[in-house]
Amino acid sequence: MNNSVTASGISKSYIEQQALHEIDFSAQPGEIFGFIGADGAGKTTLFKILTTLLKTDTGKAEVCGYDVDKDFRTIRKIIGYMPGTFSLYGDLSVEENLKFFARVFESTLEDNFDLIRDIYVLLEPFKKRRAADLSGGMKQKLALCCALIHKPEVLFLDEPTTGVDPVSRQEFWQNLKTVSGQGITTLVSTPYMDEAKQCDRVALIQSGKILQIDTPENIVNSFPKELIVLKTTENKNILMNELRKIAEAESVFSFGESIHITCTLEKKQKLISIITSTSKGTISFDTQAKPDIEDCFLYYMQREHGKSDN
Amino acid sequence: MKHLRIFVWKEFLHIWRDKKTLMIIILLPIIEVLLFGYVLTSEINNVNLGVRDLDNSTWSHQLILKFQSSNYFKIISLYTAPEVEHALQSNQVKAVLEIKPDAEKRLQSGESGIIQLLLDASDPNIARTIETYINSITYSYLQKGATQSSQIDIIPVMYYNPELKSVFKSVPGLMAVVLMLICAMMTSVSLAREKETGSMDVLLISPLKPWHIVIGKIIPYIVISFVNILMITGLSYFVFDVPIRGSIILFFLFSALFVVCALSFGLFISTVVKTQQIAMMISLAGLMLPTTLLSGLIYPIRNMPGWLQRLSGIFPARWFVEILCHIMLKDSPIHYYLKPAGIILLITLILLIMSTKRFKLRYD
Repeated sequence: MNNSVTASGISKSYIEQQALHEIDFSAQPGEIFGFIGADGAGKTTLFKILTTLLKTDTGKAEVCGYDVDKDFRTIRKIIGYMPGTFSLYGDLSVEENLKFFARVFESTLEDNFDLIRDIYVLLEPFKKRRAADLSGGMKQKLALCCALIHKPEVLFLDEPTTGVDPVSRQEFWQNLKTVSGQGITTLVSTPYMDEAKQCDRVALIQSGKILQIDTPENIVNSFPKELIVLKTTENKNILMNELRKIAEAESVFSFGESIHITCTLEKKQKLISIITSTSKGTISFDTQAKPDIEDCFLYYMQREHGKSDN
Repeated sequence: MKHLRIFVWKEFLHIWRDKKTLMIIILLPIIEVLLFGYVLTSEINNVNLGVRDLDNSTWSHQLILKFQSSNYFKIISLYTAPEVEHALQSNQVKAVLEIKPDAEKRLQSGESGIIQLLLDASDPNIARTIETYINSITYSYLQKGATQSSQIDIIPVMYYNPELKSVFKSVPGLMAVVLMLICAMMTSVSLAREKETGSMDVLLISPLKPWHIVIGKIIPYIVISFVNILMITGLSYFVFDVPIRGSIILFFLFSALFVVCALSFGLFISTVVKTQQIAMMISLAGLMLPTTLLSGLIYPIRNMPGWLQRLSGIFPARWFVEILCHIMLKDSPIHYYLKPAGIILLITLILLIMSTKRFKLRYD
């Protein structure tokens, strides 16, 4: 079966704002396809449309070849969905939640045990515990188990790692790899840029528009600018304001402890010499730094911004 | 069917785990029946009645004895006018009967105004009830002693509720209030909870059909409602001797109709709200208040202004109370209450149609 997900020209607006503009993408069977974007980028709206909960204004989307409008009942039987907020029953135990969702999907825990074994072994010690009393990471694992219990063709996970500790996040991605290894197409959204590398392909999404779709490596490799990473012992904000005044610097962004500056290849040397001459030894450089997804995201975001401004 | 069974199982677990709410829905009917049966009654019993006997004759002594033996009054003898005033003011007595001097003689010569009744009317309902009781005792005494028997003799016979127990009237009303509360509020809150937590989205993206969700939600409350009906009728039968004179089958049949109607209200509320809190507010303010006030439980519908009487007609509780009075107290033939039953059925159908139309499988 062709368990791909495609969308062409999907737009959706709410009363106050347009949530999605002309979304086009296609997720291949069995791949982990990530939507990376900040809160309010339109990820949840897109997932609700693809899971047939929400109607589109314009455009067309298909899940496993079924139209999200016409065949929504069929789609609902063959997908698994994990909403952004914990939506299982907190007053029911782990075991009871699993039993309920298994029966609803006319399945049992044993039927597709292979698929959820890795996750279930982590949950098993807590099977009598009420879902509300689980830790954030455990809750997500339980929700994933429930979404997988009927072996769906396509799995939709809306921000599954938001608010989860780094170790649990790592485990969660490991689980997803097992799932996609079984041929299940997985669409996942996340606001964490560093999670992009866990996906086979990602779509960078901002203000309801897709900025770029590619493998994480290709996105990073095709970064068209030069990157300089700075660290300062002085006040970072003052330095950033100074840097933004330099015409050669195309963008100046704060990245945790450091500052990332982009420029064109031709202007790179000039920029470095300007900064060195004004820094009085308080700044350390890395001029060979490789960009990561966040640099690319910010670059495309700025480019998109420039387009809409013109 | 399997889907429905698993859904009902889940609902029962929700109800069972929420012990506080469970206690409320089990204890509430018991407390309400006892409260209305014992406390909120309009009957009088052992009321302190002051008597100032200025006649002091055999005739007056016998009249006082008559009061004493009625069980309604406890006689407190008063002798002076200041004493009378003090007794009323200090709440020692609720009413004072003053028998004028030479009462018997003056009565025989056809004079009026031989007995004066002073009532503490700060609670007008009680004052009026006491007045009625005293009048009836006095008249029956005067009738007996009257030489001329030409007067018209009215013998009241109290049908259906000879002892005039107010609990007879409150049980049907209470039943309406309790069922409305449990069915409408609980279902609307429970459905709103699924929406609020997002689990409704998960349920929608599953092979469950909307009717599984809706029927699955209401079955547990139908069961609980019947437990409550049994508790209320059992308690009122064994503790307050409230009978079910008509058909038990019809009693349960029409109770079931009302339960379904109340559930439809709950369902409808849940289709218009997004959160549990608003569902509860609407259920309480929009349903409980009118059910309590406009069903005839506390205030007689006949005493209401016309527009309020018409308004009470759109709340099924009023019609349910009417049906229950017919079945429980009067054992009336069924055609006496087909109209109220038809109205409840109509309200139910309208609500169900509106709810189905508003139940969203997909959002806009």
